[in-house]
Amino acid sequence: MPQQLIRVRPTKTELIKLRRRLALAKRVQKIVKDRLSILTIEFMQIAGEAVEAKRKLLADFSAAYKSLSMAAGYHGYLALEKELVASETGLEIVAGSRSVAGTRIPSFELRQPEKLVLRYNVADTSSWLDEAAQLFRQCLEASVEMAELQSSLELLGKEISRTKRIVNALEHSTIPNLQRTIKYLNMKFEEREREEKSRLKRVKVLLEQR
Amino acid sequence: MAEALPYQRMLQECLKGEFKLLNAGLPGEQKPLSDLLHEDYPHVVCSDGNTHLFKKKELAYLAGLIPADEQEALLLPMLIEINAEQDEMAVLCRGQVEEKVVSRILDMPTSPRQDRIVIYKAQLALLRTKLKTTTQYLFSPKSLAQDAQELDARA
Repeated sequence: MPQQLIRVRPTKTELIKLRRRLALAKRVQKIVKDRLSILTIEFMQIAGEAVEAKRKLLADFSAAYKSLSMAAGYHGYLALEKELVASETGLEIVAGSRSVAGTRIPSFELRQPEKLVLRYNVADTSSWLDEAAQLFRQCLEASVEMAELQSSLELLGKEISRTKRIVNALEHSTIPNLQRTIKYLNMKFEEREREEKSRLKRVKVLLEQR
Repeated sequence: MAEALPYQRMLQECLKGEFKLLNAGLPGEQKPLSDLLHEDYPHVVCSDGNTHLFKKKELAYLAGLIPADEQEALLLPMLIEINAEQDEMAVLCRGQVEEKVVSRILDMPTSPRQDRIVIYKAQLALLRTKLKTTTQYLFSPKSLAQDAQELDARA
């Protein structure tokens, strides 16, 4: 980004104003940078959790499908389907949001009864199916957690890049422009002073010659 | 008066928006843990009108950290104050319950100064891992108000 001078009248008042503006810009930069660092901490934390959650999700699903295929092998697909068709039940997911340094991110919570309620005939089925039900319950929890982490990551990522742009604009445009303008005004005042001095000297010489 | 470039004017507007955004998600009120434990959907209403939902698991975790008679004194969400000019943060605490909770989670003794428990970034990460929905960031209102006023004056 090319550095530009801010168009100002070369007066002392303007210089004071510019100095104040520079101080303010530096303070704002610090606050925005703090926000950026908080967002980055949260992002890194959630990224770590998401990796762990994904690993758990894959492990859970793999164990659950393994158990389900064992149950299917034991009972046969038709018998299993007959047992499971009546066991379908609704899910209760509480969805809300929370704010992280001004960024709204979703918050999901799966509400399940503490004890697993089996809605199929336990007497006619094997323990493989019970195990599969238990494992799929864990999969549900892991899926909901993963959904929350994934969308949080996306939102935080977007916010981080937006905040970074502001920090960069301050760091590479606003503050350098102000500093250059202040420097330019200072040089101008020094030049004026030198001109004034030399004029006075000249006047003095002229007066002495008379 | 100093004539700002169009780009800078745009940036100034953007920064004003940033300030409004920073503390927009703060809770309008804090609720005691004992009340939240009995709510079906534990939440507080934020100053921007949105709701902040607490996770029941986290509330149960907090309830496990302190005895039942102290749960009324713990106001949630706990506020973590961030100061622009400092590298340290502070957990705002009104009583000893917050101190007890923070020291148990961080597994170290804490000593509050002027109703604030000072923590550093590594400790903040640990605290936020355990208490995601029951803590909230607060950007120091003193410095923000000053900066926002100055920005307003320049606009």
